[in-house]
Amino acid sequence: MRGHRDLRIAAALALVCALLAPLLPVEALSLLFALPLACFLPGYALAAATFARRPIERPQLLLLSLGLSLCVLALGALLLNYLPGGIGPVSWAVLLVLVVLNGCRVAALRRPNARAGAGAATKSSLRLSGTAAGLLIGALLCTTAALALTFTTTSAKHADGFTALWLLPPTPRDAPQGGARIGVNSEEQKPVSYRLQVRVGDRPGENVRRFSLDPGETRVLKLGPSASASGEAVAVRALLFRGEKPANAYRRVSGWLAEPSP
Amino acid sequence: MSHSRFGPGNLPAIALATGAGLLLCAVANTLARSTDGYPMVLYWLGVLLIAAPIFYRLTASAATPAERLALVCLLGLALFGVKVLRDAPLFTFSDELVHAFNANQIGDHHHLFEANSILKATPYYPGLEGATSSLMAITGLSSYSAGMIVVGFARLTMIGALYLLFLRVGGSARVAGLAAAIYTCNFNFLFWGAQYSYESLALPLLVIIMMALAEREAVRREALRAWAVPVVVAITAVLVTHHLTSYATVGILLALSLAYWYVKRSWQPPNPWRFAIFAGVLAAAWLLIVASSTIGYLSPVLSGAVKAIFHTLSGEAPPRQLFQKGNPAVGATPFAARAVAVLAIAVLLAGLPFGLREVWRRHRKQPFALVFGLAALAFFATLALRLAPAAWETGNRAGEFLFVGLAFVLAYAVLAAMRRWSSRPRLTRALLTAAISLALIGDAISGWPWDAQLARPLKVSASGKTIVSPPLAMAEWAAHDIAKGRFAAPTADANLLLVPGNKAVLAGPYPDVEDILEDPQLGGWQLPLLRRHKLRYVVSDRRPASSDGLRGYYFSTGGSTEGRLPRGVTAKFETVPGAARVYSNGPITVFDLKGRP
Repeated sequence: MRGHRDLRIAAALALVCALLAPLLPVEALSLLFALPLACFLPGYALAAATFARRPIERPQLLLLSLGLSLCVLALGALLLNYLPGGIGPVSWAVLLVLVVLNGCRVAALRRPNARAGAGAATKSSLRLSGTAAGLLIGALLCTTAALALTFTTTSAKHADGFTALWLLPPTPRDAPQGGARIGVNSEEQKPVSYRLQVRVGDRPGENVRRFSLDPGETRVLKLGPSASASGEAVAVRALLFRGEKPANAYRRVSGWLAEPSP
Repeated sequence: MSHSRFGPGNLPAIALATGAGLLLCAVANTLARSTDGYPMVLYWLGVLLIAAPIFYRLTASAATPAERLALVCLLGLALFGVKVLRDAPLFTFSDELVHAFNANQIGDHHHLFEANSILKATPYYPGLEGATSSLMAITGLSSYSAGMIVVGFARLTMIGALYLLFLRVGGSARVAGLAAAIYTCNFNFLFWGAQYSYESLALPLLVIIMMALAEREAVRREALRAWAVPVVVAITAVLVTHHLTSYATVGILLALSLAYWYVKRSWQPPNPWRFAIFAGVLAAAWLLIVASSTIGYLSPVLSGAVKAIFHTLSGEAPPRQLFQKGNPAVGATPFAARAVAVLAIAVLLAGLPFGLREVWRRHRKQPFALVFGLAALAFFATLALRLAPAAWETGNRAGEFLFVGLAFVLAYAVLAAMRRWSSRPRLTRALLTAAISLALIGDAISGWPWDAQLARPLKVSASGKTIVSPPLAMAEWAAHDIAKGRFAAPTADANLLLVPGNKAVLAGPYPDVEDILEDPQLGGWQLPLLRRHKLRYVVSDRRPASSDGLRGYYFSTGGSTEGRLPRGVTAKFETVPGAARVYSNGPITVFDLKGRP
């Protein structure tokens, strides 16, 4: 690729991006390297190889770089699907690098003589005044503010908060002991106090718990196993009351206790 | 090598207006999300601030081709930003959750074609999800972030390719800029076409095909083969990305081939008939060998559309009401908005004859221009489909393709108007800008429900913590606490059970889960159907919006339980022997039909 500066840069950039993007632990940084690797360089290399003998104008080249990159991504997954290892970070990085390197190599071989770039017969640069730069920075700030506002979770005073009650068999880790899990999950607008009444089979009395939860908080209670006299599954029923309405059951769930596994 | 320096023209000032417009849209969405009203005026002002300065500048003769290209790219990206500002950081359109599930499945299993229980055809068109998987795999991004980036790049590619297509066909940067800008006025540009769905990638690839064909037509014979490469690659990519767009590609290539023959009386290259055959054979092979379930998916939609047209024409069925009422909290589309929507169509229609006359006068020897003219006429024919209930969607989808032609034709109408009133250029430009802006807003109102233009509360801050809506809470619970088992759920709950729930779930009428969940009586056929489809968990949701894939995800507001489905829709499952009532959050109850050990 000697003499073809654009191709050398594209190939080197693809290698650097493919090495760094999967390794960087911060998503935003990783994206900085993944974007050129996935969304520009494959298309650029293909366009450079295709139009090596008859260069096209720069807008067409840029557009094809984007469009063909999208095509490579759409078709690349299909190719990787049938290769050992399937679709993963390494296979994607290797595929994209191979597309870029091969595209650049073909372009270098096909170009009639050393040129700076496929569409760069005329080099042009943007002249930006101080006012123009200020306006563009203002635009960037507005857009950033808009995105920040969007990604910020805001309060909504008219949204109806609620509490969820659930009853499930024990987690796989606790399954050998049997029993059940009862969960209370508050999606309320403010802290709420609760009374949870649990009745297990025909056992006399009720298991009563009182607690309060902050918004977004979850409380999980574990129930132990209980053998019934007849050997049948033991029913369990849970009622949840809110502190401000202690007489009315607010939520109700029912099920059975899991038997301890042998 | 020559070295030229050029200025950015009015781009920086216009970019600032665009940024300010985006900020206004973000404020409007934040106010709507925080249930402090539904500030539509603020929102439309934001959209106007984004688009109107660009429209105005594009009507000027002074702008350079580079500035025009930059302006249309800015417009396309900023209008995509309007959609992002409405939803981030979660998908909230019905199709988006289906495709996000497919993308997550690729991430989990490292292979394509994993089953999707809601839309069975979608895994067999994996282009979008495959592309998304690259960014997900390499960076660790979520399907939302990676998906929005892919769609954003696709939007940028589409608007840029439109500009270059119109530039090549029209031979004028002014026409190209105006036509590409006018294309953003189509019904689906703002929301439907910007969603994370397969057509959002396939349509830009189709525009790339058209652009490459237009370029190919303009080059010398020895360069024809080079331009065939992007055409073939993009046709293949469209094919694996979206069924309808692949058929539209075949149709457009056939129309171009015939137009080419009509004009040049030749089947020799650059007549694109070989590409039409290639696309047709490949699309048929893909449909029959890989994606045969698409036939069962599309045939009810298309046959329903045809039946609906006949029933409406014969008077057997009443015509569909336009601007149907959605969310009671927001109310029906106001009269002023309806008037803007109708006026927008009138503006498009008013420009049509003038544009067609200009196109015929200047470009009747160009195959692309002839196809654009026919597409412009066909666009207005598809408007009639909006009056037939089951044909509405077909007409709406076709509009996005046909608008490419209409945009080209209308750009010439704009030029004709400027020539006609050239004595007062600024006033004329201002009036034309107003007309295009009216078309943008009016068509956005026609293309997307009034009550769904702005965000609704899905995740809310409460006492410094984040709380989530009832269906999202249920889906998150299922994701966290239910290891395996298939679900039956109303549409909105089902979509959230896909993402973030990551569950296999059935919804809707095929099989008839919908009626089971809305019937207050436990009919004799219901349990056998649930068992036949191995549906262990049943989600009973008494919110009327639960069957609405657009509105059913959010918090209810104002404490109202009015309009809820009868208690029986939930209570009937308590009578099922062995069923456990495992989850309840008020409107939503989940039953485990195999609850008894």
